[in-house]
Amino acid sequence: MVLADLGRKITTALQSLSRATIINEEVLNSMLKQICAALLEADVNIRLVKNLRENVRAVIDFDEMAGGLNKRRMIQSAVFKELVKLVDPGVKPYQPVKGKPNIIMFVGLQGSGKTTTCTKLAYHYLRKNWKSCLVCADTFRAGAYDQVKQNCTKARIPFYGSYTEVDPVVIASTGVEMFKKEGFEMIIVDTSGRHKQEESLFEEMLAVANAIKPDNIIFVMDATIGQACESQARAFKDKVDIGSVIITKLDGHAKGGGALSAVAATQSPIIFIGTGEHIDDLEPFKTKPFINKLLGMGDIEGLLDK
Amino acid sequence: MFSLFKGLVGSKALSEETMRPVLDKLRDHLIGKNVAADIANKLCDSVATKLEGKVLGTFETVAKTVRATLTESLVQILSPKRRVDILRDCMHAKQEGRPYVMTFCGVNGVGKSTNLAKICFWLLENDLSVLIAACDTFRAGAVEQLRTHVRRLDALHPMQAHGRRMVHLYEKGYGKDAAGIAMEAIRYAADSKIDVVLVDTAGRMQDNEPLMRALAKLITVNQPDLVLFVGEALVGNEAVDQLVKFNQALADHSATNDPHVIDGIVLTKFDTIDDKVGAAISMTYITGQPIVFVGTGQTYTDLKALNPDAVVRALMK
Ligand SMILES: Nc1nc2c(ncn2[C@@H]2O[C@H](COP(=O)(O)OP(=O)(O)OP(=O)(O)O)[C@@H](O)[C@H]2O)c(=O)[nH]1
Ligand SMILES: Nc1nc2c(ncn2[C@@H]2O[C@H](COP(=O)(O)OP(=O)(O)OP(=O)(O)O)[C@@H](O)[C@H]2O)c(=O)[nH]1
Ligand SMILES: [Mg+2]
Ligand SMILES: [Mg+2]
Repeated sequence: MVLADLGRKITTALQSLSRATIINEEVLNSMLKQICAALLEADVNIRLVKNLRENVRAVIDFDEMAGGLNKRRMIQSAVFKELVKLVDPGVKPYQPVKGKPNIIMFVGLQGSGKTTTCTKLAYHYLRKNWKSCLVCADTFRAGAYDQVKQNCTKARIPFYGSYTEVDPVVIASTGVEMFKKEGFEMIIVDTSGRHKQEESLFEEMLAVANAIKPDNIIFVMDATIGQACESQARAFKDKVDIGSVIITKLDGHAKGGGALSAVAATQSPIIFIGTGEHIDDLEPFKTKPFINKLLGMGDIEGLLDK
Repeated sequence: MFSLFKGLVGSKALSEETMRPVLDKLRDHLIGKNVAADIANKLCDSVATKLEGKVLGTFETVAKTVRATLTESLVQILSPKRRVDILRDCMHAKQEGRPYVMTFCGVNGVGKSTNLAKICFWLLENDLSVLIAACDTFRAGAVEQLRTHVRRLDALHPMQAHGRRMVHLYEKGYGKDAAGIAMEAIRYAADSKIDVVLVDTAGRMQDNEPLMRALAKLITVNQPDLVLFVGEALVGNEAVDQLVKFNQALADHSATNDPHVIDGIVLTKFDTIDDKVGAAISMTYITGQPIVFVGTGQTYTDLKALNPDAVVRALMK
C-alpha cells in the first residue's frame, strides 16, 4: 500500500514511547529521530520534516507536563497532527456535478503520467454513465495525439485533437466548446508536460487555463519524485489555480512521500492514485481513511480532537 | 578561559564525537539536495572513518576539514572509472562490418525515447547512420512518437547532404515480442550497412517481474554493445531501488554465466531540478557506472556530458 512502509516505521517509533518507563527529553528525541529518518527515506521534503520535528518539540514542555500517561498521549497526538498535515490540506476536493459540463484541466511535469491518467479518469466517469471525453491540447510531445487517440479508441471515449494546429490554446478552446455544445458532462483537457524553469511553457499553461476556464485543475505527480517536488508544485500553483492532486506510479516500489509535498505546496487534496499502466489502474483516494490505515490505529480521530 | 584559544590549539585529533554535529548537518544538506538518505548516511560515515584520529593543523577547523573530505569523495564518485567512448566503439564495429547496438531501458516516463532521439541526432551529426528499433510495443503512441522523431531527424540530415539515408525506423506495430523485433532490426541494419541501432524499450517498474524478465531476454538474446539505464534527475530515494533491481534482473534472468548488466546511465530532466542534483550521486554510487549523457531539455541539442566539478559545487553550495 501507499506509504505502508513509512506507516510501519512510524508506528514502531511511537511504540517506543509505550515501552519506555519514563518519558523524558531523551526518549522524545530518539523517537523523533526515528520518525524523521523514515520520512526522509520516503522522500518527504526536508523542510517539511524539519517543521514537523520543531512543531512536535514546541508543544511538548517536560517541565509543565504531569503524569506519564498524559505525556505519551500528548506526544502521540502532536505527531499525528503533524502527519495528518502532510496528507490533508483541510480543503474539500472539487465535486463534479452530473448533468452539466465539468471542465477538468490536467497539468504537471514531463512524463508524470498526465495523458495516461486523463484516459483513466475519463473512463472512470464513463463507467458511471457520465458523458465523458478528452481533448488533447499537447501539441509539443512527439506522438502525443496518437497516444490519446489510441487510448480513447480502445476505451470508446470521444476525443478531440489535431495533427496540424500548433496552438494548444486554439485546440483546447475549440474542443471544449464543441463538447460543451454536445452536452458532455466530463470534459478532460490534457496538456504538455512542463517545468518552472521554462517560463514560456508556464505562460502557455496560463493561456490555456484562461481560455477554457476549467472547473478544476489537476496536478499530476509521479510517486518516485524526490526533493525537487515542492518547488515545482509551488510554481505550478502560483501560476494556475490547482484544485486537486493525483499521484501516479504507486504500483512500483516508491513510497510516494516526495509527491506528498505537492499536497502541502498546492494546498490541494489527493483525489486519485495511479497504480498501473492499464486504464482501470486508478483508485479514488480519501484522506482520512488513508491516515487511519497508514498508522494502523483506530483511535486517531479521538487523539486529534484533543 | 581556555575556550578563548580553542581554534588555535592545533594538536587535537579528530574523533567521531567532534565530527558528528558537522556530519549531521552535511547529511541533511545532501538529503535536501536530493541525495538518497541511505547514501547520504554512508557518505558521511565514510568521511568520519577516513578522518578519525587525524590531527588538525593550526589553521584547520573541524567543519572545513570534514567538508573538504566530503567534497573530495563526491568528485571521486562522479568521476568515471571507465570511459565510454561511443563514437570510437561505433567506428570499431563498423570496421568489423556490423552495426553498433545500444539499448535504452528504465522506468516509465523518464525520457528514454526522447533522449534516444537526441543521441540519434548526435550520431547523425557525427556522420553515423542510425536505425531506431521501436521495441516499445505496449504504450499507446510509442511507435508514432519515434516515427515523428525519425521524420524530423531525416529533415535535419537529409539524404542529399550525406549521399545515403541517415535515419531509419524499424517497427512492427504493437503487441509483438520486443526481443524478436530488436533481433530483426539488428539483422536489417547489418544487411543495409547501417552503422548504429538504437533500441527503444517500454518503461517498466523495477518490481514488475514479467516485464523485467522480458527486458533481460531482449538483452540476452541480442547482446547489445551498450545497455544504458535512463533515469530522471527528479527521482529521489527510488533511484537506488531502480538501479539495484534493474541490474539484478538483468543478472538473474539471463541464461548466461556472464550476464550483461547496465553499462552506463543517461541522467534526464537535469533542467528541471535547479541545484538539487543529488540523483547524480545516488545513481553513480550504486552502480559505479558512468553517467554517459545528461538530458537538459526537450530539443535535440539538449544533450550534455556530465561535469563532475560543477555538480559537486552545486551539491555543496
Ligand atoms: N506503472 C505505472 N506507469 C504509469 C502510471 N501512470 C502512467 N504511467 C506510465 O508513465 C509513462 C508516462 O505517462 P504519460 O501519460 O505519457 O505521461 P505524461 O505526463 O502525459 O507525459 P508528457 O505528456 O510527455 O509530459 C507511460 O509509460 C505510462 O504508461 C502508473 O500509475 N503506473
Ligand atoms: N525538461 C526535460 N524534459 C525531458 C527531458 N527528456 C525527456 N523529457 C520529456 O519527458 C517526457 C517523457 O519522455 P519520453 O521520452 O516519452 O519518456 P519515456 O521514458 O520514453 O516514456 P515511456 O516510454 O512512456 O516509459 C516528454 O515530455 C519529454 O519531452 C529532459 O532532459 N528535460
Ligand atoms: Mg502527455
Ligand atoms: Mg518511450
